[in-house]
Amino acid sequence: MTALASAVAAPRMPGFLRRLWRRPGACASILVLGLLGLGALLAPLVARILGHDPEMVDLLARLEGPSLSHPLGTDELGRDTLLRLLQGGRVSLLVGLVGAVGAASIGTAVGLVAGYVGGRLDALLMRVCDGVIALPMLPLLIVLAAVDLQKLGVPAGIADSEDASIYRIVALVALAGWTGVARLVRAGVLSLRERDFVTAAVAVGCGPWRIMLRHLLPNTLSPILVATTLSVGSVILVESVLSFLGLGIQPPAASWGSMLTNAQELVTTAPMLAIYPGLLIFATVVACNVLGDALQEALDPQQSRSGR
Amino acid sequence: MSHFLVRRLLQATMLVALMSFVCYALIGLMPGDPIDLMLSADPRLTPDDIARLKAIHGLDQPILERYLAWLGKALTGEFGYSRLYSQPAAAVLGPRLANTALLMGVSLTAAALIALPIAVTAAAHAGTGFDRAVNALCFAGISVPTFWLALVLILVFAVELGWLPAAGLPMARDPGLAERARHLVLPVLTLTIAAVGGHVRYIRAAMVEALGQDYIRTAHAKGLHPRRVLWRHALRNALLPYVTILALDCGALVSGALVTETMFGYPGMGKLIFDAVMGNDYNLALLALLLVTALTVACNLLADVAYAALDPRIRQR
Amino acid sequence: MYRMLSAALLALFAAVAPATASPPAKDELVIGITQFPATLHPNIESMLAKSYVLGMTRRPFTTYDKDWKLVCLLCVELPTMENGLAKAVDLPGGKRGVEVTYTIQPGAKWGDGVPVTTKDVVFTWEVGRHPMSGVAAAEFYRRVTRIAVKDERTFTLHVDKLSFEFASIGGFQLLPEHLERPAFSDPTKYRNRTLFDTDPTNPGLHFGPYRIVEVQAGSHIALERNPTWYGPKPAFRRIVVRAIENTAALEANLLSGAVDYVAGELGLSLDQALAFEARHRDRYDVVYKPGLVYEHIDLNLDNPILADRRVREALLLAIDREKLTGSLFGGRQPVARGAIHPLDWIHATDLPAHAFDPKRAAELLDAAGWSRRGGGPRQNAAGERLVLELMTTAGNRTRELVQQVLQSQWRQVGIEVRLRNEPPRVFFGETVTKRRFTAMAMFAWLSAPEAVPRTTLHSESIPRPDNNFSGQNYTGYANPEMDALIEKIEVELDREKRRRLWHTQQHLYARDLPVLPLYFRADPFVMPKWLRGIEPTGHQYPTTLWIENWRFAAP
Repeated sequence: MTALASAVAAPRMPGFLRRLWRRPGACASILVLGLLGLGALLAPLVARILGHDPEMVDLLARLEGPSLSHPLGTDELGRDTLLRLLQGGRVSLLVGLVGAVGAASIGTAVGLVAGYVGGRLDALLMRVCDGVIALPMLPLLIVLAAVDLQKLGVPAGIADSEDASIYRIVALVALAGWTGVARLVRAGVLSLRERDFVTAAVAVGCGPWRIMLRHLLPNTLSPILVATTLSVGSVILVESVLSFLGLGIQPPAASWGSMLTNAQELVTTAPMLAIYPGLLIFATVVACNVLGDALQEALDPQQSRSGR
Repeated sequence: MSHFLVRRLLQATMLVALMSFVCYALIGLMPGDPIDLMLSADPRLTPDDIARLKAIHGLDQPILERYLAWLGKALTGEFGYSRLYSQPAAAVLGPRLANTALLMGVSLTAAALIALPIAVTAAAHAGTGFDRAVNALCFAGISVPTFWLALVLILVFAVELGWLPAAGLPMARDPGLAERARHLVLPVLTLTIAAVGGHVRYIRAAMVEALGQDYIRTAHAKGLHPRRVLWRHALRNALLPYVTILALDCGALVSGALVTETMFGYPGMGKLIFDAVMGNDYNLALLALLLVTALTVACNLLADVAYAALDPRIRQR
Repeated sequence: MYRMLSAALLALFAAVAPATASPPAKDELVIGITQFPATLHPNIESMLAKSYVLGMTRRPFTTYDKDWKLVCLLCVELPTMENGLAKAVDLPGGKRGVEVTYTIQPGAKWGDGVPVTTKDVVFTWEVGRHPMSGVAAAEFYRRVTRIAVKDERTFTLHVDKLSFEFASIGGFQLLPEHLERPAFSDPTKYRNRTLFDTDPTNPGLHFGPYRIVEVQAGSHIALERNPTWYGPKPAFRRIVVRAIENTAALEANLLSGAVDYVAGELGLSLDQALAFEARHRDRYDVVYKPGLVYEHIDLNLDNPILADRRVREALLLAIDREKLTGSLFGGRQPVARGAIHPLDWIHATDLPAHAFDPKRAAELLDAAGWSRRGGGPRQNAAGERLVLELMTTAGNRTRELVQQVLQSQWRQVGIEVRLRNEPPRVFFGETVTKRRFTAMAMFAWLSAPEAVPRTTLHSESIPRPDNNFSGQNYTGYANPEMDALIEKIEVELDREKRRRLWHTQQHLYARDLPVLPLYFRADPFVMPKWLRGIEPTGHQYPTTLWIENWRFAAP
């Protein structure tokens, strides 16, 4: 029965890749994201090569211009700007990726169950979905960003760690952003449910979990992939807004958003400190959007492009 | 149909009621209290003062009790006093609501008016260089952090060129319409730049879909002028999904734009909600949040009902 | 048609030309601050933005001037024991009380022409001590057991506690009895009915040089001259206080001319002001006034690591505070040796400097059993690592910078410091007030000159569950010697004797080090060259209390 399911999905792959590669925007986006990801991954190595610690403060070397040992100069505490940007990239990309994937996972699970089981459960889940959509997003994020993690039963070790602000934002984004994917998946499942290969699977006695995971999920993957790619960019933007409000990533950890926020007060003296993280956010978000757009067209060439 | 309507209406009401408790509980989950914060602003305050003030504002009561008390009053139309502003919550909300409706309304209209011709032209020439350029620009607009955009606009137009004021509201006593408009330019510009890309993409997608329909081919075959086909036939059909999306986003009309309001010192709903939530001003925060929620739910409902009216199959599902 | 147009253009040019040639005398001043006052009632809630605005519309009886001397504003003469206006009295139960007599400035009138009288004094006292009225700082009002009214303008306060500060009643903010009495008919509803919030532009609410004419909540407050003001006529016809929270946007507003002057009390951050000064020296003067804002790190003395005095001293010696303020703050914020400001008359000049000395810090840590084995943090005999947590308010950029500098410097001597920040309402509302911070908490105390540290250093002020977490002795510092000194200082009326007590107290503080002193904050006042007469105070009483001295001067 699995053969049947994959038979539905399989022939699309080569064509999909070919169509993707034919789009210059998609290639450029993959290149940009790849480079940024590589830079973030290799941050410790670059630090080793340059011989600096990205968190090491040097008050005698504040706001220096580019030099051999500091290719992009130093920030207001004399730290190497390049290393900080790479380090910030780790956080920003991680938050964007994990947040988007987390949201997509919750959404997929809800969508699958709602679409396949249907009935009361479907109605309930969709009303919850409506509720989350109706919630004013930003105030909710603000409230959640200030909530005491220990009151919610999170172990003290995690709640008190220096990276707590990162986990918190990832959790926030995942909890708030799943509704779009849930609706997409549910709609997909509703139309697939009546298809022959599913009916056949039911007839042979496949359990509901098996049907959901082996037959329905693979066939709803493309809209999930598109939505996730698009939301990586918006998560990075949301993180920058939270940092702007003082509710984002806390020092010594830094994200591009928090670096940009910190740089605004010195924007006339040290404009580059604001320009670099701003550009990186911009490039990443544009790349995610373009890639998501291209993915959608490549995965689903028959259907016309939709705005979302 | 009426059964469907009643059911959805009931659901929506329950949703709003539930939301009010969720909001209340969320604010309550935030640790700490701003009254304690007053300690750091005024060294003359004693801990006894703090305890007394908390009691006065009912902040020493358990949260469920406070919520029920609030609910009882809210049902009679009394939303209580804002703790931060010492005024009835509704009275604080009124002017902010007007400000936000003005700012968001103008921005939304501007974004829609700019987006329409661009999107329609792009859709008519789908796949050409123009279309690609429009697409790239849209992505650029969507991808800029708003506070950064606002700061750049202020630095360029207010500081360097000196053409426009950096603040969103004039300070003269009777500023007159022209002055108010001049002050609105930069915040509106910020919001429009951030939003127009999304609008173009919605309309363009809807237009491309509409242009692929049979009746367009029929219209062309009938020998109608291509421009007439594009702007009359196709656009009319593309507008319906676009307007639906607009309706779904109408919560933003009252929830405001926190970042833009902060950057331009514009007293709107976004800032108000933020301050009320941060300041444990339950009455004010709840009223504002409920307003936003209720409007969003109402718009969703309206869209659903409109669709149901157009497509009877939905009712049966 | 053409001629008309050119004539109009000419006229327009003529109107514009002189303006560009030399700036005309300004009669309107726009002040930028970073906070909008929530309520305008002088006694309800405490907010710097509010006292800033109200400084222009009313006057306290007494205040501290720019030299931090107690002076009369609304009163005619400062009561002293010598001039007979203050009298110490014995109270039943062995306590000592004081009776102080004040006379209201002749000519003081509310904006609607009604004179300011002792009726207002008594009414304000009634409101202030009523537990349900919502008055924030009620301590003073409850200390006053009786007010004896001599005539329309003279009254005597009977205070149940004698302290050297007996003459200071800066918190006594008069309310207009003739307008506010009806609102107070139900004291529990007073805070919602008071005219200060329901009708803030009512002229009768103010008696200062200005009165409020417009309140645009969240945006600005406009003030115009008060015709009934008894003092010298202020120079500016109209003053607008504009609130812009984002300091980068505030700076842009200043540069674009939308704001004339950024107040130091609630304005730009120091490093922002330093950068601003470097670029715009030609148009603006930046005045830095070191103030009574004491940035420090409270150490939780219940933490076994910090209970050891040697570790506390090592922590202080391992950080280079001179270099920190020198490079981050251009040397504008003086390093603190203790909680008493160097400009305060009681400051002891011979305190130990605890200057940067990493070698000595290492020795102290070794002696305390924390030895260094290879890289990483120090360890003690039991193999525990020397790891401490430093918390502060999230979103305060300056503190976050300082925090990272300190972390980096402590790492050099083998102390690992982990940073964890919380939004102010959590940090002050829960973590610090309930002593939930495990090791170090960085924040500031704002105080008046010669403020007695009873709430911060007396052992009775340690917050505990059984005293409902009252008190601000967050370190848990308990030393009978310190308690005794505080009690003695409070009641010592002789200045010279008090100075000696203060010196002993400061040395004790520097020896025990319950707190790591960092620096005193300085407020940058960013003024256009044409604005004169602003004299930064450096304490909680704002510069606007002397606004009648502000004036325009052609450059």
